[in-house]
Amino acid sequence: MEMLNQATEKLKGVDIKTETEKGKHRREPCPPLDTYEPEEWMLETFKQESKQLLHLAIVGHVDAGKSTLMGRLLHILGQVSKKEMHKYEREAKQSGKGSFSYAWVLDESSEERARGITMTVAVAQFETPKFHIVVLDSPGHKDFVPNMISGASQADAAVLVIDACTGAFEAGMEGEGQGVGQTKEHTQLVRSFGVEQLVVAVNKMDAVEYSEDRFNAIKTSLRPFLKHCGFKESGIRWIPLSAMENENLVTQPVNGQMLWYRGPTLLQALDSLEPPVRNVAKPFRLPIAEIFKSRTLGQAVVSGKVEGGAVKIGSKVLVMPSGVSATVKGIEQNGKTCTFVRAGDNADVGLQGVDPACLLQGGVLCHPDYPLPAASLLEVKVLLLETSGPLLRGSQVIIHCHHAKEPAKITKLVSLLDQKGQAIPNKKLRCLLANQRAVIEVKPERGICLEEYSRYKALGRISLRDAGKTLAVGIVTRIIEYE
Amino acid sequence: MKLRHRDYILNGPGVVKLTPENPEDMWYAYNLIAVGDRLAASTIRKVQRETSSGTREAERVHTRLEIEVEAVDYDNVANVLRIRGKNVTENEHVKLGAYHTLEIDQQRPFSLSKDIWDSIAIDTLKWACDPAATSEVAAVMIQEGLAYVCLVGQSVTTTKMKIETSIPRKHGPAIAGYEKAINKFLENVLQAVLRHVDFSIVRCLIIAGPGFTKDQFHNYMFSEATKRELRVIIENKSKIVLVHASSGYKHALKEVLSAPSVMNLIMDTKAAKEVKALKEFFDMLSNDPLRAIYGPKEVEIAHDRLAIQTLLLSDELFRNADIPTRRKYVDLTDSVKSSGGDVHIFSSMHVSGEQLGQLSGIAAILRFPLPDLEDMDL
Repeated sequence: MEMLNQATEKLKGVDIKTETEKGKHRREPCPPLDTYEPEEWMLETFKQESKQLLHLAIVGHVDAGKSTLMGRLLHILGQVSKKEMHKYEREAKQSGKGSFSYAWVLDESSEERARGITMTVAVAQFETPKFHIVVLDSPGHKDFVPNMISGASQADAAVLVIDACTGAFEAGMEGEGQGVGQTKEHTQLVRSFGVEQLVVAVNKMDAVEYSEDRFNAIKTSLRPFLKHCGFKESGIRWIPLSAMENENLVTQPVNGQMLWYRGPTLLQALDSLEPPVRNVAKPFRLPIAEIFKSRTLGQAVVSGKVEGGAVKIGSKVLVMPSGVSATVKGIEQNGKTCTFVRAGDNADVGLQGVDPACLLQGGVLCHPDYPLPAASLLEVKVLLLETSGPLLRGSQVIIHCHHAKEPAKITKLVSLLDQKGQAIPNKKLRCLLANQRAVIEVKPERGICLEEYSRYKALGRISLRDAGKTLAVGIVTRIIEYE
Repeated sequence: MKLRHRDYILNGPGVVKLTPENPEDMWYAYNLIAVGDRLAASTIRKVQRETSSGTREAERVHTRLEIEVEAVDYDNVANVLRIRGKNVTENEHVKLGAYHTLEIDQQRPFSLSKDIWDSIAIDTLKWACDPAATSEVAAVMIQEGLAYVCLVGQSVTTTKMKIETSIPRKHGPAIAGYEKAINKFLENVLQAVLRHVDFSIVRCLIIAGPGFTKDQFHNYMFSEATKRELRVIIENKSKIVLVHASSGYKHALKEVLSAPSVMNLIMDTKAAKEVKALKEFFDMLSNDPLRAIYGPKEVEIAHDRLAIQTLLLSDELFRNADIPTRRKYVDLTDSVKSSGGDVHIFSSMHVSGEQLGQLSGIAAILRFPLPDLEDMDL
């Protein structure tokens, strides 16, 4: 009798559905999010935090100088030791890429160094007086935009790096031949992730002799585009600088030609940004950016930004889309062990009790009582970018959401929206053209774990791409079918 | 496909005797055999017999049967066609009117008798028996962690293998894991290529994808070929082409087929023509939307006004249709051809054909814009 009682007690805690039918069964949607009550320890220490955490995405056209700028900044702020810097300089010169020595702080793989470009998002950290900043250095090359989307989706603010050299800025805006350059594409994508604060760093000013005219010309040219994307004037900061010559990065410019500039340095501009809002009051969600093994955290480690809620060592989490339960074994932030992480933190989480094969990039770790099943048919509201060709029923695209990407088909064009966002009735939709807003239905090849935008902003933003171009950006209005 | 006997009149009854030679012929056969036709082939039938001792015994008997087709099933994986129908000939083992399923596979001759041999059927037959049309193009779509090995034939694109692995990060302490994982991934792709690509049939091997993974694979393939003495790869070095594509997914295949470096190799294949035609349609749709239409009713109206310049159809329309609908599409095709227009029949097994199928399977580029089609309530 005693044993029977014990067994029943044990069974009460086990979620039988997830144990026996992994993945493919019809899961009922998650309970409403407002029933979630965050635990005390999640909120309590919030006030004790001395510095706010800020995720900064660095975006811009290829060769604008993003990695060099960040490498230089990290070096000046003491994040890179003199010995390491000497090593990079020496090695870079040996491979004939002397000018890339600072970029090598972030581009660590031999492939990236040999080709002189960033391929995946590099993560580094530094401090300003107000913030602890996590830098997400994105690739600028056209082929690696999917990687850039993965990194930039975690951003709270962004630095758009512009190459001031004659011709280079224009190429970034107009593109070489087909389609727009990455300056425009990155800006639109970053805005679609909900980023409202932008620091425009006009780099390589040394090549144009720190000309005020050139700086203003770039500003005039870019301003209407940024406004069109949805950035408010108050959210943009314009900073001329030169990463190579170390002008206006951390200290006021010393070069005589730049005396016309009286504004803040890059560091001051970053410090003046608004801290982001932390969603601690929502159930735990961590979109999986990377999966790897580590000596300290074990065989199954995931890393990503906690978009909501919090976990500590010992917490139980659910790995979606496979639906397997796991326990948090260890947590690391920037190489340092910690006992818990909250919304807004970027962390490496070591898991116990799960086979690493269940972990997929694009999956999500979530609170066991508020699971996030994979959706197989979505209704989304999108804005077609100006570079997009016509989109029809049956068009094949790749849908990106946080770190997930899947080939998908547009199954239905529901309605066209006017400027105010109202559906235009009785309009027969044959196809969608550039700059239009519409509601459409998208069916990914495999399920994607995401949320409706109204429930959870960070997991409800999507972008549609094909043939190397971003066609549309939008939000998930409704999940029609689950896998 | 080998044609052994032919006896028919255009739009009249007739009979052909065919022997499929390669897997793609199954697809042609699938498009030829329609409900109501009569198909004869040798087959195995389980017959119940009573032996002298009184017990019932089931015996497998080889016999030649002719059936009236009721359903056709195409098995892509096994490359076999299964046709179900009622027996129409007198046979000592099978009663008249009994149901039987005939299996058609490679090297099994069959005879097909139709009541009406329309222009589409005759065209399909012509394509099937064309000896020059057997060569194929092999393509490896590769991006980091994902690869597809596909064979693009005249009418059928088959995905032979999909390789997917999770590749860990490239920086920090786990960087050693990256090298190991990527080598394992490239090895798997190489094995898939060795197993599924027959260099004696294939015209060329295209390696396509974004970024540098394709170059990585190319280098890996050749260094392993020299190390392990893989003659197949070393001898066919000239057949291997590297092309840039925006992603490693299957639908990026159409970008590959329209790339200039690949175009001259595959110019005369049906696949390339289809991709080109569909691209023209989409270009017209974005430049002059009133001259590009899709949907059966719209196309009918446009045809009544003699506005069609190029007609795009998916072969699905001919396959699943009942006789009056099929007749309608055949008439449409013939009439567009006779009025000087172009007709492209897309194979639904190709990437571009799938896309056309999603658009209702029928589309057209017009000679002049038809603005009122937009406003008409169809």
